[in-house]
Amino acid sequence: MTTIQQPRILGAGVDRVDGPLKVTGQARYPNDVNLPGMAYAAVVRSTIPSGRITRMDTTAAEKSPGVLEVITHENADHLGEAPATFIKNPQPPLQDDAIRFYGQYIAVVVADTQQNATAAAGLIEVEYERHEAILDPHDPRAERIKDPWGEDTAWGDVRTALNRAPVMIDQTYTTSENTNNPLGLFTTLASWDGDTLTLHDSNQWPNMIQQVVAAMFGLPRDAVRVLTPFVGGGFGAGLRCWSHIPLAVMAARHVGRPVKLELTRPEMFTGLGHRTSSINWIRLGATRDGRLTAIEHESLTTLPLDGDEYEPCSSVSTWSYASPNVTARDQQVRLNIPWTNFMRAPGDAQGNFALESAIDELAWEVGLDPLEIRLLNYAEVDPKTGRPWSSNALRRCLEVGAQRFGWSNRNPEIGSMRDGHELVGYGVAGVSFFWYQQPCSAKVIVRGDGSAYVRSAVTDIGTGTYTIMAQLAAGLLGLEVDQVEMQLGDSSMPVGTAAGGSGLTAALGSAVHDACGRLIQKFVDLAGTDPFSPLANVPFEDVAVSEGRLFRKGDPTRGESLARILAVHGLTELSADGNSTPNSPDQLGMTPAGARGARFVEVRVDEDLGRVRVARIVTVNDGGRILNEKLARSQILGGTVGGVGMALFEDTVTDKDTGRIANATFGDYLIPVNADIPDVHVEFVGEPDAFNPIGVKGIGEIGLVGVAPAIANGIFHATGKRIRSLPITMDEVMD
Amino acid sequence: MRVNVTVNGAPMTADDVWPGESLLYVLRERLGLPGAKNACEQGECGSCTVYLDGLPVCACLVAAGQAEGREVLTVEGLASGEELDPVQEAFVECGAVQCGFCTPGLIVQAHSLIAGHDGVPADAEIREHLAGNLCRCTGYEKILDAVRLAARRKAGS
Amino acid sequence: MHEFRYERPATVAEAIRAVAHDPEADFLAGGTTEVDLMKDGVFHPDLLVDITRLPLRGVRRDGTMLQVGALTTMEELASDRTLMERAPFVVEALLRGASVQLRNMATIGGNLLQRTRCRYFRDPAVPACNKREPGSGCEAVNSVARMHAILGASPACIALHASDLAVALVALDAVVHIQSEEGERLVPLTQFYLMPGETPDRENVLRHGELITAVDIPLPPEGTRSIYLKIRDRASYEFALASAAIAVIMDGPVIKEARVAMGGVGTIPWRGFEAEEVLREAPATPDTFRSAADGTIRDPFIVPGTAFKVELAKRTLIRALTEVTS
Repeated sequence: MTTIQQPRILGAGVDRVDGPLKVTGQARYPNDVNLPGMAYAAVVRSTIPSGRITRMDTTAAEKSPGVLEVITHENADHLGEAPATFIKNPQPPLQDDAIRFYGQYIAVVVADTQQNATAAAGLIEVEYERHEAILDPHDPRAERIKDPWGEDTAWGDVRTALNRAPVMIDQTYTTSENTNNPLGLFTTLASWDGDTLTLHDSNQWPNMIQQVVAAMFGLPRDAVRVLTPFVGGGFGAGLRCWSHIPLAVMAARHVGRPVKLELTRPEMFTGLGHRTSSINWIRLGATRDGRLTAIEHESLTTLPLDGDEYEPCSSVSTWSYASPNVTARDQQVRLNIPWTNFMRAPGDAQGNFALESAIDELAWEVGLDPLEIRLLNYAEVDPKTGRPWSSNALRRCLEVGAQRFGWSNRNPEIGSMRDGHELVGYGVAGVSFFWYQQPCSAKVIVRGDGSAYVRSAVTDIGTGTYTIMAQLAAGLLGLEVDQVEMQLGDSSMPVGTAAGGSGLTAALGSAVHDACGRLIQKFVDLAGTDPFSPLANVPFEDVAVSEGRLFRKGDPTRGESLARILAVHGLTELSADGNSTPNSPDQLGMTPAGARGARFVEVRVDEDLGRVRVARIVTVNDGGRILNEKLARSQILGGTVGGVGMALFEDTVTDKDTGRIANATFGDYLIPVNADIPDVHVEFVGEPDAFNPIGVKGIGEIGLVGVAPAIANGIFHATGKRIRSLPITMDEVMD
Repeated sequence: MRVNVTVNGAPMTADDVWPGESLLYVLRERLGLPGAKNACEQGECGSCTVYLDGLPVCACLVAAGQAEGREVLTVEGLASGEELDPVQEAFVECGAVQCGFCTPGLIVQAHSLIAGHDGVPADAEIREHLAGNLCRCTGYEKILDAVRLAARRKAGS
Repeated sequence: MHEFRYERPATVAEAIRAVAHDPEADFLAGGTTEVDLMKDGVFHPDLLVDITRLPLRGVRRDGTMLQVGALTTMEELASDRTLMERAPFVVEALLRGASVQLRNMATIGGNLLQRTRCRYFRDPAVPACNKREPGSGCEAVNSVARMHAILGASPACIALHASDLAVALVALDAVVHIQSEEGERLVPLTQFYLMPGETPDRENVLRHGELITAVDIPLPPEGTRSIYLKIRDRASYEFALASAAIAVIMDGPVIKEARVAMGGVGTIPWRGFEAEEVLREAPATPDTFRSAADGTIRDPFIVPGTAFKVELAKRTLIRALTEVTS
């Protein structure tokens, strides 16, 4: 494996290449696109959680001004099965009369304007046969699924270790449902041209949408083109092919015009999935000096009636700390609820809250500094296999963070640090994030003028993929960043993976690395065939590239520009395809480690009112090689705010009788505002990771993880109150 | 009904407007100006912020008829040709942009703060002024940096 | 499609006539509530009479009173110098009540008429809401209701009055000018709002075709101290879980006179007459404040989600009293 030899941090100061388009309003998101003859769609959603439709009257809607078509299960096209893509996708909508959750699509109306479509949608009359809904995870009638992914893990003998442990923590931690709520309203604009289909669509994985839509509509894959050059955020919401997408496609086929279906904010709560609530049972066994002897972590999360979801909350307990005895088990329970789905750090966010709260409780129990207990139990090697990590700077994260934060100024006594009405608390949490990578491909082209294109079907959801891939390719081809043009977000380009699981940078970056290597090889080969070239007979290993030129290592005068090589050979361009597949841990003899991190938080709790304010946060992360510090910092900052939201505000509330989401607006579902976010110090530590050629570890999600337990642990230090359920609101903190 | 409105300096007309339609819909779907974004449709997120007669408002809550004969300035009208407005420039430079969906509204709102301010506003003032603009990606901090930078440049020039 | 007409009459009289003669007509001012409710499918007038360009805008000093035109925007009133000097808590209530963008549109008259944020009211898919469909019941009482009222509430309706401004104005005994085809009448804001009782759909004393044209804000005497304390989950941009608007005149450590109102707790902006009684001529001590709070939050109607508000509201009032008297 050839690896990049460049420094740990590349391009610290490079501005986002898509910035100018975005600040001028020129970036075109899926709902910004209008096509000639375009019609608008509005959905109708069920208002019961379980049962079936007995009658639908669409007469008034059909007669309503501007209406072109009303589609219900009675006249919907019969669609093919939706294939699973890593996880399941919702089966096609409107195929039967069954109601599985409140908010399920039961009709779509198409009209000449959005207003006409929406108004007509409100005129459809529906009668239901109601069945009893199962909405409570504790309902004994609910189907429980044990070991849903076959990943339950155990080593050692946890039972015995817990029985013998001089100190034990045995607690339950819960987290609430959260909704991704990217700012961009998910939109599908479907346009048929004969038997080919073009979609402008909000998602995080254009090839997945292409594959699923093609299967449902019985089309060859290449008859479907999905365009997602820009998307207004995702946080996991765009990782499945949601039901509004086939609805738009079906509607466009019915009316013979392009159809735009833009979800409303309330529809975003039921139509795109949400982060599952979780119950985590944790038992820790430890010696009196705080060394872990056993970890038992069990979790229960929720599922919709007909979907699946991967939320292994307990898995963090298998890799975060060293323990000779570990059991990690997950269960899921099926309910009549909208789909649960990935949301920034699925499973980890919830499981880490539980584990890091429990570790904190253990620290207090044995009288150890909460920072010390984490350093004491640091996992030098993968505790499950004993293999070395591909990289792991958790210890460094904790040490550097403690120093930046001034942890040593902490008075360990509860409630000892006061400022007026406010009790001050310091909290810490460690983070060991999961590792994930999927195959990916890219094409790199050098044109006659020496500039380059990089193409891949993947999309940039705002993380900075356009920018860092341009930097990476520029570095590998010896070009300036502005000489590299990025073309992403188009399913017709080389097949790409999801912008999710913090895995895209490693996957696409490795593919770009591969493509650039192959392309340079092609140039070297070309030059080698030209007896007049200064590079004639120079082997590939001896060639370096800089400023658009290939030259002999150690002799920059002996070289030739890429443009000249093309010209000499009468070529307008030269391209190479690159692929990446994740390496094998067995082959490399190491365990791939995800990103690592530490959070240090100062909270201020109003003694009378119970109001919690986060005064400052230090977040230190090990993301391997950082390709662009400015963008990486933004990823961590954004994640941090998500963590503050999860800790203090975000709670998707469901009415217990009807299954209706009771707070499906931005006025009622609280995400942090500007004033909630304090000074946040972001720092990166660690070394390039050894598991992929570019040395990166994804950092799109880790920023969120650990913020909630650090806040909860800080509240305990401030008040002596241990709060084990999220979000932490003033009603719980108030005495 | 017909709505006449001056947008970014140019007189424009939209026909067959439903009276309950919002100014945002008229801009985005009828006048071909999708810069102002629709994210909540209820004045809770600020993504649709535009100037109406010189004051920033949520275009999603302005009934189309209310805009009749008035002046609208959107994010598309801030740059002069290729040259970005200092606020736009500062947002790019400071890394205050991620997915970019809240960005147009924030740019207009930040622009209105700086336009009415002679120095560099205090942090509390910036936060107050931007309180109605939700962002889910950037973490706000870089946005504050961008506003400070743009204000400093304006004060310095 | 709900067809309706939109008109922009040139005079107040024409506007009033247009609405008065069409039972399904309504006035449109800033639109921040009405346009929102139209999108939610909760409000569907036949005729919208746009009054935003009528000459009912501006703030005028009249002796010890400010007369505020009903179409003055929140932002305009918030930047009034006299108000800032003499009753800063009204300005605080305005600034904490909405974002800049909304304050630039929302009018003072409209603010006083803003509808509740209750999600059971604002979602037509919810069948039971006495405010929206009289006689249909109240879904909120049986559901998750953290942001709801505990005072003036009943099993028929627990919808909270969401205005911050109205809380401060109720404390100051502001008076509303109401114009109709019959002429003008003046109603003190303390008598303007109606408790839900058996008719939660009736929120105030306005009759169809009546228009608020102005609000008189009495200026408290020089030396009055005031505060608007708003407690909410987020640090800004959220409706109150509890708020207190207080104006006091102190004589050394003794409170000579006090005006108290609370938001975030009532089905109407809640004037604390009992608290004022307790505070008048009383020493500014924790005991006094506690009795004032106990006197204000009496006989609450609570559901599981709102139980915490009883103590939160009391402590909010105590905190505000402590700050304003110290």
